[in-house]
Amino acid sequence: MTIRGGAPAERTPAGAGDDLNDLLRRVAARDAAAFAALYQRTSAKLYGVVARILTRGDAAADVLQETFVRIWERAGDFDPVKGSALAWMATIARNRALDEVRRVRPGSLDDQPEGFEPTADEVDPLAARERSEGLAALIGCLEKLDEEKRAVLMLAYYRGLSREALARRFGRPVATIKTWLHRSLGQLRDCLGS
Amino acid sequence: MTISPDDDDAAAEYALGTLDPGERAALAARRLREPELDQAIRAWEARLAPLAEAAPEIEPPRDLLPAIEARIRGGAGEAPANADFVGLRRSVALWRTTAIAASLLAAVLAIGIVGREMTRRSTPREYVAILQKDAASPAIEVTVDLDRQELTVRPVAARAPPGKAYELWIIDAKLGAPRSLGVIGEARRAASLAAYDPSVVENATYAVTVEPPGGSPSGKPSGPPVFVGKLIPVGR
Repeated sequence: MTIRGGAPAERTPAGAGDDLNDLLRRVAARDAAAFAALYQRTSAKLYGVVARILTRGDAAADVLQETFVRIWERAGDFDPVKGSALAWMATIARNRALDEVRRVRPGSLDDQPEGFEPTADEVDPLAARERSEGLAALIGCLEKLDEEKRAVLMLAYYRGLSREALARRFGRPVATIKTWLHRSLGQLRDCLGS
Repeated sequence: MTISPDDDDAAAEYALGTLDPGERAALAARRLREPELDQAIRAWEARLAPLAEAAPEIEPPRDLLPAIEARIRGGAGEAPANADFVGLRRSVALWRTTAIAASLLAAVLAIGIVGREMTRRSTPREYVAILQKDAASPAIEVTVDLDRQELTVRPVAARAPPGKAYELWIIDAKLGAPRSLGVIGEARRAASLAAYDPSVVENATYAVTVEPPGGSPSGKPSGPPVFVGKLIPVGR
């Protein structure tokens, strides 16, 4: 068995589904080489998820480490019927990042410091060229929301912004943001029909 | 799906990440006991998960993989990486069962877990926890000296509501129910921990409730915690 992924040119995009399923299955069987290959294939993607939420680099790196430890421990729980391998791993990564950002420590800030509202480099899934079936369906539903409400959801998802941070950013009361979130999410659920 | 619309909203916001720390912790505790809520959260995670595909890649720092491999090699038989968070969620679940004013929970419960992985290798003997609601709010500082088996509480500008007192509790699965460490006064105050095993002291969750003056008459917390935290070692 060889460990894949030395030169960057050999790397396959993280979206390639069957391979990741296979790697996870081998990781569940405690295959260390498969784990290293899985890391090579997905770490930049998962770091892209956590580092947008945790803007402090050391915190993002810690969470990425914990995420992969957890993937190692839980690989056996992955069920390909319920979703893609990448979605399963990204959910673990995102939950860890959210636990971290919603955990309050002395000297830490729940949200971005004042004056450091994220502006550049926002993720717009609608611009994604490569779309899995799941993403395409979700985008179809997101397109039905009006732009501002979609932007609220996207900043919450990709940047981990709290209701308070969203309220500041959109110049609305927190209660309004909460109502928007519930309505938009309800519309998404009905649109996705699941 | 049989959960209420409000719970489904909360599950959706849990998955999206917009609940505040107290609500997030409360829901994390409830999902351990309410399979339908747990299922609703998972359903929301699955609905939103495809969005992650659209997040552009960012190269992580280079040296992470060896560190992770070292952790999983050394990790056989050890507790999962987030064991103490799970432990805390369970503790909070335990609290919920004794909480009378459950509706207060969302308003007041907030988690200030300080530190996450106890490193026992270098055996530091002094620990500190900052218990607070959020970063901007007053805090209660708990310092533990394991050698002297002593705990010191210092309210940092945190004041109990008029006619009420703050009571400090130690919570650990090994103890069963939460145990009182006494009422917190205005000044620095030391309490003996001689009755507790050092490993319990190190790993326990510390929580503060609002009680009548003199402390809870029943000896059990009469409401949900308003401050929560865990200890982190302060180096030698």
